[in-house]
Amino acid sequence: MVKRNTVTRLARRMMPKDRLARLSDLKLRDSGHGYDPFGANREWIGFAAGTMRFLYDHWFRVSSHGAENIPKTGPAVLASNHSGTLPFDGTMIWMDVLEHTSPPRVVRPVLDLFVPLLPIVGTYFARAGAVAGSRANVRALFEANELLLIFPEGTGGIGKPFKERYQLQDWRVGHCELALRHRAPVVPVAVIGAEEQMPQVARFEAGAKLFGAPYLPLPATALPLPVHYHIHYGPPIALHEQYTPEQADEPEVLRDAAAQVKEAVAGLIAHGLKTREGVFR
Amino acid sequence: MRRILVTGATAPIGAALVRRLARDESVDQVLALGREREAAMSIESSTKVTYRQVDLTRFRKIRDLLFSDVKSMGIDTVVHTALHRNASQEGERVHRLNVEATRELLRLCERHPTIEHFVLRSQGAVYKVQADQPAVISEDHPLNLDPKAPQWIRDRVEADLTACTQMGMSPMKIAVLRCAEVLAPATGSQLFDYLGSKVCLRPMGYDPMINLLSIEDQVEALYQAVLKHDAQGIFNVPGRDTLPMSELIQMVGRADLPTFGFMLNPAYRLRAALEKKEFRYDMNHWRFHFSGVLDGRRAKEVLGYEASHPLRPTELAQHWHQDPSAPFWASRTR
Repeated sequence: MVKRNTVTRLARRMMPKDRLARLSDLKLRDSGHGYDPFGANREWIGFAAGTMRFLYDHWFRVSSHGAENIPKTGPAVLASNHSGTLPFDGTMIWMDVLEHTSPPRVVRPVLDLFVPLLPIVGTYFARAGAVAGSRANVRALFEANELLLIFPEGTGGIGKPFKERYQLQDWRVGHCELALRHRAPVVPVAVIGAEEQMPQVARFEAGAKLFGAPYLPLPATALPLPVHYHIHYGPPIALHEQYTPEQADEPEVLRDAAAQVKEAVAGLIAHGLKTREGVFR
Repeated sequence: MRRILVTGATAPIGAALVRRLARDESVDQVLALGREREAAMSIESSTKVTYRQVDLTRFRKIRDLLFSDVKSMGIDTVVHTALHRNASQEGERVHRLNVEATRELLRLCERHPTIEHFVLRSQGAVYKVQADQPAVISEDHPLNLDPKAPQWIRDRVEADLTACTQMGMSPMKIAVLRCAEVLAPATGSQLFDYLGSKVCLRPMGYDPMINLLSIEDQVEALYQAVLKHDAQGIFNVPGRDTLPMSELIQMVGRADLPTFGFMLNPAYRLRAALEKKEFRYDMNHWRFHFSGVLDGRRAKEVLGYEASHPLRPTELAQHWHQDPSAPFWASRTR
């Protein structure tokens, strides 16, 4: 990979001074050499923010709503809808949280298990704070009081056909189980715009295994369309005040808890769609 | 007062542990076992330390020693650190030392009238590291039970499990310390050998996190396990240094050269053949792709061990620089 001083130099070129200076307040667990045990690193986060800045500021022109709902400290889960063929929604939420929290927090996106298999991409994501979605990884992050980003729809959400846009797919319960077990609030998040960024024409499962991915998408456009992103954060849902950690093993409780989160995200999506002026405005 | 037996006492880790124990006022006697003659040992001459030259694969001799000298000395704790360190050697004899000697030693210690505590130095290499496994490894992490794994790994897993299966069934307290790799010469460290080249090849696009242990911390962990003679179970022992592979290569002054993955195995096989080096890429393939960092919380809570001695890259680099057997292209630093 690129050397760290090169990364720092590049970050200085790509980011305005004041925005880069904010990152000095970033709290990151340092395991001795400036990296946390998962490979996240402050300089790399600055570099990643620099590379995402053009997309965030100019291409998707992200508007943030309700960022005050993101807990300033302690473990928490951001649970969001997922869409868009390629995961720009995750990177925009990552950037938005970094921009709208003070002191800045880096959200740790929980990725599908195939992502670390991808050369370059897997490493780049790890340096920016992403982790593979194994139970033990998530447990370790909660215990370190980190803020997690989970897409309960998984690949079912990002790979859904255009005609199903803004319809939440099969909503998994794992995030509620972890939130209950670790006494962490769940913040519902709705991303408006991503569902129209890259309509998917077809998907191929044959050959995808070569890349370790579940499928290869065929988008209608080579680049994502410059849709206007709106990211809405809802009030935190304190599932841990409704249920005990022991109830995290009860399927009925998890279904109820997940339904609450899904309903909150659906409500934010409906509100976001109603209040936006257009796909590109 | 404690009386301790240490196997593998002529290897760097065993010798350092013997020295540490000899300095401890609560330790009365240390019986050090090794294959070499005493003259070759680098342990301090201390009235507390007694050395015996023993081949652990000769079970009759082990039994004779345990039920004569060890019994009369009243040894209460056995620290088993002896493992074959040469990855290029395989076969029945290696297996006999790595696994059968551990099994026999355990069996004899269980029957022994004075031994109450058995500490096995195992390794983090016993864990399975894959993309779908956690990057932070706790003690319940799956083990590498791949039958196609090299003997070096299979033996370590088997020896580890041999001790683990006796926990709770044995009259002794058994502690298994799964230690991160000690980056030091003559310890069997694969990475130490890998970093011996001026140019270090690794797969392009991957830069996993690794954790490394210094000899000082390794000895401290074993020492703490000896002191907590009631401690039983499995304990991960991480080191102070957690960093990406590329940073490690740069830290010790080597050139980091990412290259195509398919070239690495043949390249390092060729290196092993030409330079008589120990590093085998096929044995380390996983750790060049996916992160595997030991979670040491249990060792901290139960044993009171916390890594505090970082690696000293300058000293490591000096070692490679002074290696007279290294060819001209392999061992010049900076």
